[in-house]
Amino acid sequence: MDKPLHQEFLQLIEQNKRIIFKICHSYCKDPGDREELTQEIIYQLWKSWERFDNSYKFTTWMYRVGLNTAIAFYRKAKNKESMIPLTEQHEEVADKTDGNRKSEEQLQLLQKFIYQLKDLDKALMLLYLDSKSYSEIADILGITETNVATKISRIKEQLKQNFSAVN
Amino acid sequence: MEDVELKNLWNSYDQQLEQAKLLNLQSWVLNIQTKESIQLMKAKSKLNKLARFKSRVAALGVFWIGFLLFLIVHSFTYQKIFFVVSASMIVLFNIVAVIVYIKHILIIHEIDNAESVVEAQEKTAKLQTSTLQIGRILFLQTPFYSTWFYTPAWIAQADWRFWMITIPITFFLVFISAWLYRNIHYKNADKKWFRILFNSPEWTSLLKAMLLMKEIEEFKKESMDAGRESEK
Repeated sequence: MDKPLHQEFLQLIEQNKRIIFKICHSYCKDPGDREELTQEIIYQLWKSWERFDNSYKFTTWMYRVGLNTAIAFYRKAKNKESMIPLTEQHEEVADKTDGNRKSEEQLQLLQKFIYQLKDLDKALMLLYLDSKSYSEIADILGITETNVATKISRIKEQLKQNFSAVN
Repeated sequence: MEDVELKNLWNSYDQQLEQAKLLNLQSWVLNIQTKESIQLMKAKSKLNKLARFKSRVAALGVFWIGFLLFLIVHSFTYQKIFFVVSASMIVLFNIVAVIVYIKHILIIHEIDNAESVVEAQEKTAKLQTSTLQIGRILFLQTPFYSTWFYTPAWIAQADWRFWMITIPITFFLVFISAWLYRNIHYKNADKKWFRILFNSPEWTSLLKAMLLMKEIEEFKKESMDAGRESEK
């Protein structure tokens, strides 16, 4: 294995590990499944790394591999119905002020509503919330920009309705 | 909740992840340096597992076809005509299945996770739904398992048991296999008989694949509709 190649890969993964984490949390409820999915995504990233085209944006490539792995993995995972728990680390980080508790609850709800979306809608929303441009989302998903815009506005409407129903 | 609030909420999540020691990614990435762990991860990779399973089934199919062909070649007599015809039909169905399985293995090796999500998922989902198609086709061979032991002499001297038991069983199998061929479809996935017949983790994942195919079709349809709208 080429050492500089490996180091570059390691560095890029480290810089963008939040992408992997968010994908895993959106597609897996069970912590065990999540860990397995994380390893699978890293393996798939490493496997595709040699073919990575530098003209591409690293995060675009990472989202493609991560989302494809997660959707395929999700199909095989067992259905385990439970509320998405925030990680222990999250709890350590969160301050216990009322304001933070409220936003923590809202965040949990948002994660729950995203989890309930269909596979492709979920991917679309993840990319949108991560502030990806419509053209980048279209490129990652393989659909048109017009379609991205239409779908996003529909999903946002659905999310807003879900929030109104619980608040 | 407004658009800005949604994004702010998501950004706060992002900040939390930044601060938290959330994943021991570094050690996993370092782990893949060793050849052993690469082999282990390769073995664990879902698609590789599927490819190995399909290779084993295809190899078993080739062995079964070879065995049946051997028996057919050594049975070319008038008295064994039913056996020759039945076995030949079973061989034909199995040849189709083996070809489809080999095609699947090739597709598995072609799947590239760096392709766009719709493109890559369409390939994977098609692969799984095609497994259902081949299952339907294989059901059609069932009646031939009830005819291989017929002989012209037996039919000529047939008593009531042949006409009242043996023949109805064959017709029943013809009816059942044709019915399954017509009705094994993801549209019937919610029916009780379907769930009983395909109640296993493999089939559950297949059903999810079929739902995804439906989602992809909707995505594409909406994409075309949106394109037409913008042209107007």
